[in-house]
Amino acid sequence: MADTVVTESKRERKEPLTDLLVVDLDVHLHESPGELAPYCDPPWDVALENIKDRPETYLDIPSFSPGVSDGSYQAKFPTAHEGARMVHDQRQMRDELDELDVDLAILFPDHLLKLPVLTQAPYAAAVARAYNAWMIDKWTSQEKGLLGAIIADPHDPQDAAREIEKYADHPDVVGVYLPCAGIDPMWGHRMYDPIYQAAHDADLPVLLHSVTITHPVFPFNNHGFDTELGRHACSHTFSIMANIVHMITTGVVVRYPNLRIGVTEAGISWVPFLCNRLDKEYLERRRDVPFLDERPSHYLKRQFWVSTQPVEEPEDMRDLLKMIELYDGEDRTVFASDWPHHDFDHPMKVDQIPFPTEEMRRKLFGENALDLFKIDSAGRKR
Amino acid sequence: MRADETTATQPRGTRDASQNGRQNGDGKRATRDHVVGPVSEFPDGSHRVVDVGGRQIGVFNIGGTFHALPNICPHQTGPVCEAKRVVGTLRATEETGWDPEWVKDGEVLVCPWHGLEYHIPTGQCLAFPNIKLRRYDVSVEDGQVVVHLRAKKASK
Repeated sequence: MADTVVTESKRERKEPLTDLLVVDLDVHLHESPGELAPYCDPPWDVALENIKDRPETYLDIPSFSPGVSDGSYQAKFPTAHEGARMVHDQRQMRDELDELDVDLAILFPDHLLKLPVLTQAPYAAAVARAYNAWMIDKWTSQEKGLLGAIIADPHDPQDAAREIEKYADHPDVVGVYLPCAGIDPMWGHRMYDPIYQAAHDADLPVLLHSVTITHPVFPFNNHGFDTELGRHACSHTFSIMANIVHMITTGVVVRYPNLRIGVTEAGISWVPFLCNRLDKEYLERRRDVPFLDERPSHYLKRQFWVSTQPVEEPEDMRDLLKMIELYDGEDRTVFASDWPHHDFDHPMKVDQIPFPTEEMRRKLFGENALDLFKIDSAGRKR
Repeated sequence: MRADETTATQPRGTRDASQNGRQNGDGKRATRDHVVGPVSEFPDGSHRVVDVGGRQIGVFNIGGTFHALPNICPHQTGPVCEAKRVVGTLRATEETGWDPEWVKDGEVLVCPWHGLEYHIPTGQCLAFPNIKLRRYDVSVEDGQVVVHLRAKKASK
């Protein structure tokens, strides 16, 4: 009883989230081989049709999204944790986001988070094209606040660039999703320059998103952990850090100085570490990066937006303010929920950060994201 | 102040002043102009660290032009001028297609401690635009290399 009173009084001190613009950098729709098949080019449509009735475990369908993501390497005990929530259509998504007070959301896939692990390049590219067409047909709607990030398939950067050009002016498409799980080589490699060039020319941000898998490429060779806790703690964050390091140290940020780069599902506490670690290396190894005119943290702060989920939950939420301050992140930190995944954040948790100003709160919950996507508060492209 | 500055080129206790040959036997610290040796001891392409009024100063001959820099790296007080050789560096720009090219050959000083690079003629740190080594005037008078202790004004 006493706890309830305290919670309510806290809530009253703040403007309710319903009166605040909330932009969510990361929500997941659910796609399946059967739904994508009609949108897929031959002969790959036959292959998707062929596996449409296969049972799926969480983010794992053979020949579509291979690779364990559900902690199958260890004993499974009974639990009520809903570890495999899914959103199956646009209406369900809008209703559930309303419950979370989310006004505008950026849609990402479920299974195709693992697109890079497919070994057959033409198939992967066809699946990406099918997903993009299906997402725009069935899910995105600027009026409903459901905005899309089209997938850039890393297997065929030229094809991905064509997809970006194709959808550049679509009112519902506000970003380009760069899948990170299992990618090899990582996103800094110059083979991906056509993707960066196309995103740059379309004035669309690129968005990094990873997922937990165990896969024989760095940094996903995480079989050394006994527990899913260990694997999950490292997978997303290490992947994001590795890809960002590669993008900075191969000069993506210099070749495309106006490219806006969004980061999802890695929390924020690693950002001060990465700034400091890269700057320290730069002292000694500037020659490795002779295209950089400034220390690496300069480019990280200039071109990257980081999203909160899974937001760190320190005992003292003021620690988060300190971390944001350490990477000059007041204008570069963006709310994300990751709905409907098992580790989603309700915005109330981020709202527990004791923001020093209402302005900073508004920036984190929505205004910074508007800058990243160059949209207005109704989701219209500026 | 000056003595502190020079002894700071090594961590406390790793070397003492006598090993460095830093004694100032004549004690002429007030003198601004210091003869550091005949030109023949500073051939083109060479550099040496000399003791000038209690300070360690690196004297460089690059193509017949002399440069003098303090032997202390602003990063962590390393003996920057004790680099075994003067080298060049890598640069990559849009003009090179972002491919690296070797530039400033014979003009770059790399600190032996952590590898921070400096452009000798300007004192400019290559990694950090806001860091610049002070430069001292050097002249050749009657066949002798003379270091003038008043630091040059910072300029490009």
